[in-house]
Amino acid sequence: MIALVDCNSFYASCEQVFRPDLWGKPVVVLSNNDGCVIAANKEAKALTQIPMFEPVFKIKQLLIDHDVSFFSSNYTLYGEMSQRVMNTLKQFSPQVEIYSIDESFIDLANMRFVNLDAHGHHIKNTIFRNTGLPVGVGIAPTKVLAKLANRMSKKIAHYKHVCVLDTPEACKQALKDAEIKDVWGIGKKHCQRLNNRGIFTANQFAYEVSLEWVRKNMTVVGERIWRELRGEPCLSLEMLPKAKKAIGTAKSFGNKLTDLGLIEEACAYYISEVSEVLRKQNSCAQFIQVFLQTNYHSDRDAQYSNSITVTLSTATNDTFILTLEATKALRTIYKSGYRYKKVGVNLSGLIPQEFVQMNIFDSVNPQERSALMQTVDKLNQKYGKSTVNSGLVGNRQEKWELIKKDRSPRYTTQWSELLAIDSNWS
Amino acid sequence: MEFESIHKIKRPDKTHKAGSSEQTGFPSPATHYLESTIDLNLILTRNRDATFFIRIQGDGWREHMICNRDVLIIDRSLPATAGKLAVIVKDGDFTVARIAKDSFKDSDTVLWGVVTYIIHAV
Repeated sequence: MIALVDCNSFYASCEQVFRPDLWGKPVVVLSNNDGCVIAANKEAKALTQIPMFEPVFKIKQLLIDHDVSFFSSNYTLYGEMSQRVMNTLKQFSPQVEIYSIDESFIDLANMRFVNLDAHGHHIKNTIFRNTGLPVGVGIAPTKVLAKLANRMSKKIAHYKHVCVLDTPEACKQALKDAEIKDVWGIGKKHCQRLNNRGIFTANQFAYEVSLEWVRKNMTVVGERIWRELRGEPCLSLEMLPKAKKAIGTAKSFGNKLTDLGLIEEACAYYISEVSEVLRKQNSCAQFIQVFLQTNYHSDRDAQYSNSITVTLSTATNDTFILTLEATKALRTIYKSGYRYKKVGVNLSGLIPQEFVQMNIFDSVNPQERSALMQTVDKLNQKYGKSTVNSGLVGNRQEKWELIKKDRSPRYTTQWSELLAIDSNWS
Repeated sequence: MEFESIHKIKRPDKTHKAGSSEQTGFPSPATHYLESTIDLNLILTRNRDATFFIRIQGDGWREHMICNRDVLIIDRSLPATAGKLAVIVKDGDFTVARIAKDSFKDSDTVLWGVVTYIIHAV
């Protein structure tokens, strides 16, 4: 049996753990740069007048009018709380697949002798007790069915956030009640296609569509879903994340920038972020892409955007070499006289570190440099992000950094930002 | 009970050193008595995934030996035992109080976490 455990409105719930005054009240979380609403709790979703993914400036008054609390995203907090949930889950099974920041699959193969419903509640209660975060648990024979069970655990009140599909009858009933669009892994296109053939429920898909048709029209991916819905496990738990094929980052500036120097510093900072990720997974990049753009939402500004990809003479994950190359690339696409909104970098053509072909004309000693980068990573891990960085990053971050006006304190990672309780007040 | 799968055996902690002498002259008489140095993290935070720190402002809880700017260590995994000091949420506000038998009789009063230690700077 496989359990899918996922946190209910994770970002909003993280905020609420430390804000009991907001328990039971609508809360939303805004994207980077406070651009739009990216997460909302149950109470906020119930206010149907509030559209998700709308720019905040358009709906701010609406939020205030409905007494909705809003927070800038605090990924430091969410990441740390997520870690607590995942660690707690490891008590229940040695095999945990961390699927996303708020979702994990756990293998309950060794749990055949326990009452699964009680076990699901035990998992849910333990996570809540440890972290204050509410979760839903779906338990079923396969991943796709567990995902379905998890969905039911939230939709159907009497399950109390734990739903177990442990008999063929229970699975069959769940499939009958599920629309095809709610099945994990079936996209809009396939959904439309199946609807056109008169297939509307998961049960129709699993038992009325032939395997040949699925194979032909939905490839092996569709076949796996089809089999999993019928209770045949095809997707195994992935304990290690797949190495990424490309790593990039691009964030809007807090204010529009015209000065090349500042844009270079932002670009250098992003390079230091992505090259650190590269080193963590022991790979090197062969190509580096830099792009630059103005604010295409604005009608007043002159528009310009461009992008350039550079092939590196030797694949590398060295921050200093990458920064140098990125800066050169940026200079070739930069044009003065525009108000830029965003710079981005993308490292691609990733290969394992040990497969890097040396270039006879390289002047740096790769071993020495790799020792330097390891030291930089260690220092930054110990003393905080970007404690040691390339000089090209500069110290004018406040001029280009994202705006996070309404970010909550980093309660669990910063001694200076702990949750504070006033003893005189109560 | 049957075992269905065998998992990777964990490596022993690298920081643990067996008590062998590294001195070049006389062997240390402490060789067989070496222990690890006290680590407050291990002692004060028994369950890291359930541990939170909260700073108290003001001197309103002197009766609980809590002073202005003190930091409470909270272990949320501990049960609500009567007599224990705890952070409690009452009508949406945090407060610190000793748990009594009937502390959580009303549904508007819930336990946030049990206080295990008070860190007081002198």
